[in-house]
Amino acid sequence: MKHFVIPAVFAVLAAIPGARAADEWGIDNEKAAQFSAKVVDVACALKGDCPENCGGGTRQLGLLTADGKLRVAVKGNTDFAGAVHDLLPYCGRTIEVDGLLIENPAITLYMAQRVREAPDKPWVKTTAFARDWEAAHGKPKQWFREDPLVKEVIAEDGVLGIKGLEPPKSK
Amino acid sequence: MRPATILAAAFLAAATLSPPALAQSPAQRVQVKGELVDTWCSVTGIMFAAGTAHHQCAVWCAVGGIPISIKTADGAYYMVLRIADDDHSVARKPFVKIQTHEVSVDGELIERDGVKYLFVSEVLDDAGIVDLTHEQNPISPFGE
Repeated sequence: MKHFVIPAVFAVLAAIPGARAADEWGIDNEKAAQFSAKVVDVACALKGDCPENCGGGTRQLGLLTADGKLRVAVKGNTDFAGAVHDLLPYCGRTIEVDGLLIENPAITLYMAQRVREAPDKPWVKTTAFARDWEAAHGKPKQWFREDPLVKEVIAEDGVLGIKGLEPPKSK
Repeated sequence: MRPATILAAAFLAAATLSPPALAQSPAQRVQVKGELVDTWCSVTGIMFAAGTAHHQCAVWCAVGGIPISIKTADGAYYMVLRIADDDHSVARKPFVKIQTHEVSVDGELIERDGVKYLFVSEVLDDAGIVDLTHEQNPISPFGE
């Protein structure tokens, strides 16, 4: 019987909006953090320099809570990518986010793992960067090795960042 | 009405009517020296993330839109939102190309909610990449 009960419990939990907490990464000073916040252009929030549509994807985005806390959303759920693609559609709107708040003594960061428009809406995983990259360039094996700008910069400066300097040959 | 009562009422009114205090510092002019790093990998410690051995990953993350920061010798992070007139800090070649470089900059610092945000006015010196970590470490991550 228990072989059926455990998967059934997981299935029920997965079906309840908001039942699953953020995935932990085991990072020092991390804690799961789900909250409501307005999506803002960070430079706009800090300096009042506010282009249309939060800069249209050219600027770092943050989450401004009702009590005035500004959390910069540095990471989404695509490997090696941030959360700008996930948050930009909600510029100026209040949404719910779920993810990891990392309160490192040197700097506080937020990793947005999923977003939803309202408590009664489904969660959406923050993989918009991968979706948009694939739409622009085709399905990749590893976007970060195939991206045109990455290839251009690595071709110019090398893997180590110093032209002409090569990594040691592996033995 | 007694003076003490008036004073108490004034304090109560001030406390009630004042907007919530922002934890934002006034902008101040600063000069900062350090290595330009991929903020996520460097802060979280999920992988080795300094110098030449991590340069390629820092490029990946900058192109992926993760903010870049200047990490100083004392371990402070200054998240860079603008360089000179360029405030397009997401996946832009000028921001990507200088990853891992040791730079000295002059700029405007605003601190808020645990983050030092830096609006760079001028790059005073760019020493290039000086931290040759690949001599002791494999390429991070994946070894290639």
